[in-house]
Amino acid sequence: MTEILPPLAVALPLGGAALLLLVGRLLPWRIPDGFSVLVALAVLAADAAMAAAAAKAPLVYWFGGWAPRGSLVLGIGFVVGQADAAVAAVVALLFAASFVFAWGYFEDIRAFFHVLMLLFLAAMQGFCLTHDLFNLFVWFEVMSVAAFALTAYRLEASSLEGALNFTVTNSIGSFLMLGGIGFVYLRSGTLDFGALGRSVAAAPHDPVFACAFTALAAALLIKGAMVPFQFWLADAHAVAPSPVSVIFSGAMVPLGIFGIAKLYWEAFAPAPSIGTVMQTLLFAMGAASALLGGLAALRQRHLKRLLAFSTISHVGILLCGVALLNPRGLGGMLAYLAGHALVKGALFMIAGILLSRLGGIDEIGLRGRGGEIWPAGVALAIAGLLLGGAPVGLLDQGSRLVDSAADAAGRAWLLPALVLGTACTGAAVLRAAGRIFLGWGEMPGEEERAPSEQEEEKPNRPLWLMLLPVVVLLALAVAAAAASSEHFATRLAARFIAWDGGASLKSLAVPLPVPKQPSPHPFIPWLSLGLSLLIAAHDLGRSRLPRAWLAASDRALAPLFIIIDRLHDGVVGAYVTWIVVGLALFSVSFVAASG
Amino acid sequence: MSLLPWTVALWLFAIGLYGVITSRHYVHLIGCLTVVQSSTYVLLLAVGYRWGAGAPIFFDHPPGTPAVDPVVQALVLTDIVVGATVTALLLALALQVHKRRGTVDPDALRPLR
Repeated sequence: MTEILPPLAVALPLGGAALLLLVGRLLPWRIPDGFSVLVALAVLAADAAMAAAAAKAPLVYWFGGWAPRGSLVLGIGFVVGQADAAVAAVVALLFAASFVFAWGYFEDIRAFFHVLMLLFLAAMQGFCLTHDLFNLFVWFEVMSVAAFALTAYRLEASSLEGALNFTVTNSIGSFLMLGGIGFVYLRSGTLDFGALGRSVAAAPHDPVFACAFTALAAALLIKGAMVPFQFWLADAHAVAPSPVSVIFSGAMVPLGIFGIAKLYWEAFAPAPSIGTVMQTLLFAMGAASALLGGLAALRQRHLKRLLAFSTISHVGILLCGVALLNPRGLGGMLAYLAGHALVKGALFMIAGILLSRLGGIDEIGLRGRGGEIWPAGVALAIAGLLLGGAPVGLLDQGSRLVDSAADAAGRAWLLPALVLGTACTGAAVLRAAGRIFLGWGEMPGEEERAPSEQEEEKPNRPLWLMLLPVVVLLALAVAAAAASSEHFATRLAARFIAWDGGASLKSLAVPLPVPKQPSPHPFIPWLSLGLSLLIAAHDLGRSRLPRAWLAASDRALAPLFIIIDRLHDGVVGAYVTWIVVGLALFSVSFVAASG
Repeated sequence: MSLLPWTVALWLFAIGLYGVITSRHYVHLIGCLTVVQSSTYVLLLAVGYRWGAGAPIFFDHPPGTPAVDPVVQALVLTDIVVGATVTALLLALALQVHKRRGTVDPDALRPLR
């Protein structure tokens, strides 16, 4: 029974999408909504069953029965470890929540939204489960194309421009990935992760593998929106419809980082120079993203753009967890990925509630207008506290694991970036909650600075229906973090690492013992939470603070903020230039690593 | 194998990216993007090429006849399909932008901030 689960997780949403495309026009409009929720839940059940069944050994499925003969691999396989299934399950859960949230929202375009979203879901499942590099690329592409079309759905000027930036930068990412696959095939003659891992082990110093890794990692970093590849993200996330932004921030972007973890541990781990580049360059990119995303989020008044920048910050922490190259860091990354998906998904849904109920998303324009939908304000504040590092829930466990892993690896300097990035994103969300729902933080000259385009989403759903998935996601983000889940995440990560290079060949039944260590800095959650409350209070209480202090602090921070604003100017040519800069950084660090 | 295909692939990649960066018209930019994509075709075909070998069609050849690597050709075919999808989507987006903004100059178009 369990052996058909891996293809089922992909086949269900693909089949569902095809079916809806065929008969969607004939169905009354609630049926596609209900059908999509059911498909997403069925995929979630399949993923959960796989996670349970993979406890002893990974599930292996070869399409068309093309199992490898000896060391010759011709077929395409799905090899599902517990970590893969767990990540896929988080993705499916987020889709189910987003379908409930979008109930009736897309009735104008009938079932097309659901068709695209189910394709998107199928692509992400395939991406998590596959064991073949080219198959990974195909899912990556399906994911991208569905995402491009979903971003531009509203066909308004800003969403079209955001979608164009997104499509151009991510297409370059796809070409890089295909080039990387070419390099891989040139040296190893195979695309299966296991066989590829063996040929890397046979020639660990081959520069062609370094080239291949550069191209593949750059492609995944573009998808994962890491400095200096991050520019497209804010443009795309801010303009996509809210149910789609939920998936973008919660699932698509973090999957880029999960892809890097997969690639490294399944294929490139034997090459020492690639390990060095992961530990230096990618770690630095993660820390820089954590910091830059947080600072940029503080600058935003458009709530969705604010959340988009906070995603850059949190995904930076994910990348740091991966780049530490040890089970604890990776375990922290897995816990953080799940927590981030739940909390950020809930936050984008709250933004969607504001858009449909209050007809706007501008934090200053909506000041004090949230009274009638106060339960959304409570949810926004709770989510802000969780983002800001409150010592409960999955996010907190993940960041503590990453921190203790960084400390053990002699990289305690990550701590300030981690705390400051977390605090800034939490502060930005709390500030928005205080301003919109409590009417705090009056700004002089509010009208002049109002954004140009009026935004609105359909107010056709009852508030409780929109709040239901928000509450479920937030409750899960807190409740899923039982005392043992830290240990559980680390064990998943240890198995993920131990099963690298052809899980089908050596099944490892013994769970690896992972030393359970207390966090070296028990004060961190309190520090970042306090800092985020302080920053939020500072921004909200500006009118009560002494003029001299405000002038001094503005003057000190202005150059930094001006640079950040100038960089994210929305011109696609500049974004592509930064991609080239990122590729140059890779080559410099490979030269440094080998010399 | 000669250096020529690798040089061509690198040249196409670089010149295409240069075009994308400096372009002042989205249709031109999309054209440049397909140039970048062509570099991956050249790269992949060079990877699978064998001197003196025929096409990988074994209908009227005995098994064992030397042939170029069919795997990369399948990869290129898949990529052409994906590339056509993305190009069509991009052109449709550019058309819609032109309808709403009256320009397709990337420097004049900026998403919401």
